[in-house]
Amino acid sequence: MDIERNPVLVDKLASEYVLGTLQGGARRRFESLLRHHIELRVAVAEWQDRLHPMAELAPVAQPSAAVWPAIEAKLGLHGKPLRKRSIWFELREDLSFWRGLGLVSTTAAIILTSLLLSRQELQVPAAPATSYIAMLSNDQAQPIAVVTGDAPGGKLVVKLVTPQAIAADKSLELWAVPKNGPPRSLGLLAADGSVTLALPANATPQTIPLLAVTLEPKGGSPNPDGPTGPIVFKGAWVQI
Amino acid sequence: MPSTDLQPEQLKIWLAAVVRKDAAAFRALYDATSPKLFGFALRILVKREWAEEVLQESFVNIWNNADSYQASLAAPMTWMTTIVRNKAFDFLRRTDSTVEIDADTFDKEVMNAMESAGPTPLEALQLTDDAKALATCMARLEAMHRQAIALSFYHDLSHSEVAAQMQLPIGTVKTWIRRGLERLKTCLGKLGSA
Repeated sequence: MDIERNPVLVDKLASEYVLGTLQGGARRRFESLLRHHIELRVAVAEWQDRLHPMAELAPVAQPSAAVWPAIEAKLGLHGKPLRKRSIWFELREDLSFWRGLGLVSTTAAIILTSLLLSRQELQVPAAPATSYIAMLSNDQAQPIAVVTGDAPGGKLVVKLVTPQAIAADKSLELWAVPKNGPPRSLGLLAADGSVTLALPANATPQTIPLLAVTLEPKGGSPNPDGPTGPIVFKGAWVQI
Repeated sequence: MPSTDLQPEQLKIWLAAVVRKDAAAFRALYDATSPKLFGFALRILVKREWAEEVLQESFVNIWNNADSYQASLAAPMTWMTTIVRNKAFDFLRRTDSTVEIDADTFDKEVMNAMESAGPTPLEALQLTDDAKALATCMARLEAMHRQAIALSFYHDLSHSEVAAQMQLPIGTVKTWIRRGLERLKTCLGKLGSA
């Protein structure tokens, strides 16, 4: 029998399947038909949406406080700084957005850097030696720092274009955010002026699409595997 | 206000974050939905310790399977209550336990709310819009039809088991449930299009 050609039967069986009265062999036959017929799956979903709110008609009750820790323990969530990890995850999720902006931000960064280089006569490598660049901005898209990478020289120069006022017991730390794996520290920044750091050989925009700066305790993140503080500014790391 | 946390859009946002293994979103989802889901588990299982075990298993399942939630096919609360319901019935089968079924299954509190005309008692129950619509339509059913449907839903009973519980012939119970479900569908369809 072509069950999908009998909408009345489909509806009746779906309703009894969801309610629970369809049992035993009839239930198993219906479940095997479900796998092959989208009409049945749609009918079941519709009946679930109709009947399952009945669950809410039971009076609300508060489970004991021990339930949540038990769930955490079972899933191994307890004590992990998952909130921080999720921020990095979201940053990576943004990558398509960053890639889309790549061309625009590269151009913008080059213009900005050349302006900076000409006006302020910075002690940064001359333009031909600059291999990579990133313009780091805060959440309000205000440019805070320009990072230039000199791949042959293995050097990284971070110039703060907007001086930052940070507490005496805090440091700004620069991170390479790879496509996979935890962020890697590139070093600490000066709150004002520029700082030269080592550029790791493999820190190319192909493997490190994003740079980010976090606010950390004085001397940098105490966690060797990643930052502990919030991201204060970030930007796409691009080749020029 | 807790009821706003149960709005489908907010629940979908949390579920999407849970797919990304966001523990903070998972905690928010737990805080917002656990009183409802625990109440439901307790309705099925009666014993608190059983209901807590099932609630725990359900949330482990939600964390592990959030990516299988399909927004297009079911409301988030429906998806989560399906998990709780399945886990509760699995628990009873696995432990070979039986629940003392109260024939007057529908809680007086809920019945009073459904039978009163004013919106206030329903508001007090902090229901989602879907549940309010269902409560309104259930209240319009004949009491025996409603009881047969509720017995089956909360206790996973077959037609013959419902008949035994209600001490009625199985043919009568089948007819009542079929008519009750048809009327619910019509009533919910009207409310939905209104």
